[in-house]
Amino acid sequence: MIRRTEIDGVPALIAPTAGPLQAGLMFRVGRADETLSRAGITHLLEHLVLHPMGLADYHYNGATAPVTTYFHMQGPEKDVAGFLSGVCDALSALPLDRLETEKAILRTEHGSRTPHVTEPMALWRYGARGHGLIGYPEFGLHMITPDDLSAWAARYFTRDNAVLWITGSDVPAGLTLRLPAGERQAVPAASSALPVTPAYFSGGSRTVALDAVVRRRTAAGVFAGVLERELFRGLRQEGGLSYTASADYNPRGDGYAVVTALADALPEKQDAVLGGFIDVLAKLRVGRIEPADLAAVVARRADALDNAEVSATRLPSLALALLTGEPQPSAEELAAELRNVTVADVHEVAEEALGSALLMVPAGRSADWAGFAAAPSVSDGAVDGQAYRSLEGSDARLVVGEQGVSLAGPQEAITVRFDQCAVVLAWPDGCRTLIGEDAISLTVEPTLFAGGAAVPPVIDAAVPPHLRVDMPARDPSSIPVPDPDRYSRPPGVRPLGSRLRLWQRAGVPKLGFLLLLAAGLTVLGIVGMVTGAGTIRGQLVAVAGGGVWSSYLIRNLIPRVQQVWRMLE
Amino acid sequence: MPVAPAQPYPDFDPVAAYPVMGRVRNALVVQDWAAVRALVDAAPESAARTMLIRFAATVPDTERFLRDVLDRDPDDSVAGAMLGGRLIDAGWAVRTRAMAEHVSAGQFRVFHEHLRRAEQILITAAARNPADVAVWCERLISARGLGLGISEVRRRYDRLAAHDPHHLPAQSQLLQSLCPKWDGTWEQVHAFARERMLAAPKGANNAVLVVTGHLERALGDDESHLATPFARDEVHEAAARSVLDPDFRHDYGWVGVRNSFAMAFSLMGDNREAAAQFNALDRFASKDPWEYLGNPAEAFVRRRARAYAIAGAR
Repeated sequence: MIRRTEIDGVPALIAPTAGPLQAGLMFRVGRADETLSRAGITHLLEHLVLHPMGLADYHYNGATAPVTTYFHMQGPEKDVAGFLSGVCDALSALPLDRLETEKAILRTEHGSRTPHVTEPMALWRYGARGHGLIGYPEFGLHMITPDDLSAWAARYFTRDNAVLWITGSDVPAGLTLRLPAGERQAVPAASSALPVTPAYFSGGSRTVALDAVVRRRTAAGVFAGVLERELFRGLRQEGGLSYTASADYNPRGDGYAVVTALADALPEKQDAVLGGFIDVLAKLRVGRIEPADLAAVVARRADALDNAEVSATRLPSLALALLTGEPQPSAEELAAELRNVTVADVHEVAEEALGSALLMVPAGRSADWAGFAAAPSVSDGAVDGQAYRSLEGSDARLVVGEQGVSLAGPQEAITVRFDQCAVVLAWPDGCRTLIGEDAISLTVEPTLFAGGAAVPPVIDAAVPPHLRVDMPARDPSSIPVPDPDRYSRPPGVRPLGSRLRLWQRAGVPKLGFLLLLAAGLTVLGIVGMVTGAGTIRGQLVAVAGGGVWSSYLIRNLIPRVQQVWRMLE
Repeated sequence: MPVAPAQPYPDFDPVAAYPVMGRVRNALVVQDWAAVRALVDAAPESAARTMLIRFAATVPDTERFLRDVLDRDPDDSVAGAMLGGRLIDAGWAVRTRAMAEHVSAGQFRVFHEHLRRAEQILITAAARNPADVAVWCERLISARGLGLGISEVRRRYDRLAAHDPHHLPAQSQLLQSLCPKWDGTWEQVHAFARERMLAAPKGANNAVLVVTGHLERALGDDESHLATPFARDEVHEAAARSVLDPDFRHDYGWVGVRNSFAMAFSLMGDNREAAAQFNALDRFASKDPWEYLGNPAEAFVRRRARAYAIAGAR
């Protein structure tokens, strides 16, 4: 049974458990509440809050999701109370001396994480705002000030925008939640970058993935389960085309839920996986739901609702529903709803899902043949303004006007309008990347256009400061030098000079020379050992030092050689 | 070898050999769907049924009628396969059979537009009736035209073969996709043809796949290919397994099979064997494979005259 109470003005849900005491403090704020130019502020705040806890030996963590941020702790009553009280106290007195360190940690965290293969789908569906932001790096970290953080905490991390859940018999003794008063913050409205659905885009991987938005309901979760069984059977068991074939269902917090599905593919099977995936979707769309699949999915979900721990395990999702103002049915009500789901209900969800679908197809493929419209990757038109000629022989001109910036070719243009700009990334050398709210991105390299040096000041003057992100200086070698024949040369032909330049710029000759020296040192040591010249200690130092140095150089050399090869291809 | 004094002029209309096709065409022209379905449903076996549907797809000006039939009964996979096939045929008429470099961008655009419309009808038809091999057979053609890749063509064929492992109309389509001019290699062509020949029952039409593979290679790639022992041995073995087998029957598909053997034997210089096929064919000719040699009627008559002259002179 789930008991409701209130602790220092924060609504709390308590359910008994046979397991350890756990508690979660959840706030209704997440990445979807941010803007691209200050993206990362919630995550940064979460890290700052947790930093003082690192000194205690707690079993805790924190997470920033699209519409929630939560702090979670498991352990003895005293520790849980201490942790949660500590989180609330840290929110009102952020350890701002840690700001730059935590920013650096977050940048490292981002650099070392493997992005989920479906992440790009968010920006194709929602654009560069709201729910689309999870598809982007945390660009704003560089620019976030202590004042930004205090304002963010004051708006979102309040007792009126929080829910606490506890698995245990009662509220831990000594727990106080010192949070300021505030307002419950509504889940941000979903934006759209898709003029037409169903739509598709070509991803960079071999994976086929689906993202569909449906009204949140029990039958929609069942649909995701049925879809997973169909994909697994059709692509893995029968065809042997995929290893992973799965589907998932996640409420978005605004009355809708997102059904995602994905199937990976061997390189030579990508077309078959795409075709098989589309056939599975078509089968469900026409209503051929296998009754055995429906029964199996309902049984598995009903099982999960029918055990002693169900109240405890449902607490996080109930807390989310409480925060977002969505229905919070009991386990019994959910089980009854599940049992009532019919083939017709699942068919209805399938039609809704396919109508809203965004399909990611493998690189170089399309899905227009199956009735999916190409998601926009270029703009409707170009702005008027001063045009700059390419120094590389491209027929695309850079146009900078009062309305925005365009890269306009004879057929197509990409445009970012200043009044629909989500962020401008600004490098000290003048390079500017503008990203529009529609996720169209345009990078201006002033060195590649005649008179291009005049462009950055115009952009800087037109874009309000809160949209600007100052980027660290680039390595001088990555500032492009115009290659006058780049676009006029027939493909595949490249003068020898520029090949040499590529190798030089990648530092391969330099590293190669050093490697020769290092290897020479090793050889000298070995020769010394064999011939008995010099002291044995000197020989060992030469061999070991040369070896370590060589392996370090080789580790650096290999990726550079690979990169140049790829460029030459 | 009896040589008729005046040889009949070849008749390339499939209706001549398969009169039911004529009745299907008439039923389509007068928009009598019940009659169309009765004729198709009465087909003696699944390859015959697919051939009737494929033929119906060549009858012009039926799109609106078939669309109406399908709207009334979305589960009618015969209507789905015919409408899909009709759009594919109309698209291919615009594209022409010329090599890709001789087809204009405008022609390709219209071709692909037709194929996309066809494919979407066929996706739904296959989703509703996954066991209808005629639908999958059309989807082999649309996949090839849309350039959906050999692994997708293969997946579609496998879905079909699960229901009918000896479906020659589909095997002929897959064989095309396996040719180097589309997505494959000659090794894949010959291996697939041989495998399906050996798997098929004695006297079955499927052995013609072997002949088609060698003809494709000889006419598309290397004229001397038919002179190789590999090609000669395989074509003779295929003949022994089909047209020369006592179980070989003149049922649906026989005209194309004998015409392929006649042409292959003629090109190999085996005129006696060619003459036997011409003799068995009488006036029944098929455009495929003769149109590879230019005007099909001229090629047929010329090759037949040579076969009879040399074989008769022996």
